[in-house]
Amino acid sequence: MSLNVQNKVTADIHLEITNILNMEAYYLDNRKYKEWLELLADTITYRMPLRETVEGVGVSNIAEDSSFFEETKTSLRTRVNRLYTKSAWVENPSTRQRHFITNIYVEATADPDEYKVRSYFLFMRSRASTSDIEQMFGERHDIIRKIDNEWKICSRTIYPDQSVITTMNMSMFL
Amino acid sequence: MIKKTLNEKAFHLLKEKMEQGLLPQWVITDPDIYDLEIEKIYGHTWQFLGHETEIKEPGSYVTRWMVNDPVLLVRTRQGEVKAFLNSCTHRGTQLCTADRGNKKTFTCPYHGWSYNLEGELVGIVAGNKVYGEEMDKSEWGLRPIPQVASYQGMIFGNLDPNAESLEDYLGEMKWYFDILLGRSGGMEVRGLPQRWVAKANWKATAENFAADPYHVQTTHRSTVEMGISPEDPLYAGYGHQVVMKNAHGINVITSKTGKARVPFQGTPESMWPLFEKHLTPEQLDIQSKVTVFVGGVYPNLSFVSPIHGTEGHLHNYLNFRMWRPIAPDRVEVWCWFLIDKAAPEEYKEDSYRGYLGSFGPSGTLEQDDTETWARIVEVSKGLMMRDKELNYNSVSNYLMGYSHVKPDENFPGPGTAYPTTYIDALSRKMHEHWLELISKDMFEKEVSR
Repeated sequence: MSLNVQNKVTADIHLEITNILNMEAYYLDNRKYKEWLELLADTITYRMPLRETVEGVGVSNIAEDSSFFEETKTSLRTRVNRLYTKSAWVENPSTRQRHFITNIYVEATADPDEYKVRSYFLFMRSRASTSDIEQMFGERHDIIRKIDNEWKICSRTIYPDQSVITTMNMSMFL
Repeated sequence: MIKKTLNEKAFHLLKEKMEQGLLPQWVITDPDIYDLEIEKIYGHTWQFLGHETEIKEPGSYVTRWMVNDPVLLVRTRQGEVKAFLNSCTHRGTQLCTADRGNKKTFTCPYHGWSYNLEGELVGIVAGNKVYGEEMDKSEWGLRPIPQVASYQGMIFGNLDPNAESLEDYLGEMKWYFDILLGRSGGMEVRGLPQRWVAKANWKATAENFAADPYHVQTTHRSTVEMGISPEDPLYAGYGHQVVMKNAHGINVITSKTGKARVPFQGTPESMWPLFEKHLTPEQLDIQSKVTVFVGGVYPNLSFVSPIHGTEGHLHNYLNFRMWRPIAPDRVEVWCWFLIDKAAPEEYKEDSYRGYLGSFGPSGTLEQDDTETWARIVEVSKGLMMRDKELNYNSVSNYLMGYSHVKPDENFPGPGTAYPTTYIDALSRKMHEHWLELISKDMFEKEVSR
């Protein structure tokens, strides 16, 4: 008995998950960080390892021993709370940011309420009156689960494509 | 070109203002000054390349940069550390572009010349047939970085074969490195350094990090608002700022009472006997009282050893960062996390999470620093600031503690120790040293000294 046959990704599921990711991007781009936190499961692991330049063919270029983020819901909440203070200068005056989320691919798991979701991101940001536009791009691997009839992001791993980050800081969530 | 815009008069005015505790702002991102800095400072001072634990095994290597010089840092089969220009001797092509790895030979993708870990040219494609006897392979090995040395596991390189030795260059800082890096018998680097490009000038980031605890109460005010840091605006000012030879320096931040807020920076009690074993009584006294060590090795290596807490646990770590100048208004920051080898594994992991929450590009403290760095360079190109004759009084203020704060003779460590960290003594020293280095041999009569 194959899992894929039993747990299919229906068009409805795909649409619901796509909507969640689009809603998330909207919250982040509109500084609704507390609403964003509500989309995350209390047990979330939120990670962002470094990308490295590696020699060889068919070898991983994810530096699993090195990170930009290794967060729990508690540490994310601390980061979020900071963004509601008056003196988090990096976001006051606020930057203008957009998360463009594409290439969403949903995969079923053994649990009918749980899906593996891969998406691409392009993050763009404008700051103060400078003409420079900052950007970052890469891929996200999520586990999204229906808990008490609500979709929650249970784990996220963000893989940047750059080994040298070109945004002047990483005050954003991805 | 440099001679034309940087004349003796401008330098004398610069020196005159600096003696008054003022730094003319035109020097921050002036392109000719920048060129001079690269040549006269970075061409002759010791640059940090990496830590010994980054290249543990024979054949381990990392690639690094000394500003614009690519460096291949390797551990040889005999276990020696060597550094070469990361460039094929045949046509100059960058030899290795990987960040790290382990190999026996490095082969250039252009014509296939290959080198061993000793830097010797060991293979030429069709060598005997095409080059004949006129080419002696032993003359075409990788070009070594002229000087490579390490102290407490920290490996440095110097492009000037005649520069003073690393130990002489570090001078009094060695005593503090013995605490920071040697207190428990050795530190280890975790993973790769984080790298990102900030809008900043290297002088401003080096000063901000090494010499300026005064910024903490405003730049990092969000931590006060959140109840993490004390309301007392002097909280980062208690302790000593120590100014050393070659413009190195350290701030030993304690607390209002002069005692530690948390014993031994929140390190596990199991490690304290190691501190007693590895430190002298004077070093142990400092380690027992400190809350935060923050300082720098001139020109562009800074460090911090703080206490941070996430989710109820307090912990300490050591963060080194190198400010690689890539333009007058751009710095590529390289940020290393180090932890005591002897620390329990769980504590190491907690400390790493604490680091990620505080420093590096994603750290909440450093995020706010990047904003102020950017604001300095973004306004530095206007006519008022660029005016070398200073008609608009465009000078930065380094007057804090300029005349009234005298050194504390009772401080147990080497260097000139001032009894507060809210003082511009180290900043002034860094800028004076900067002027001395960049103006060296520039005019018939020396500007500095």
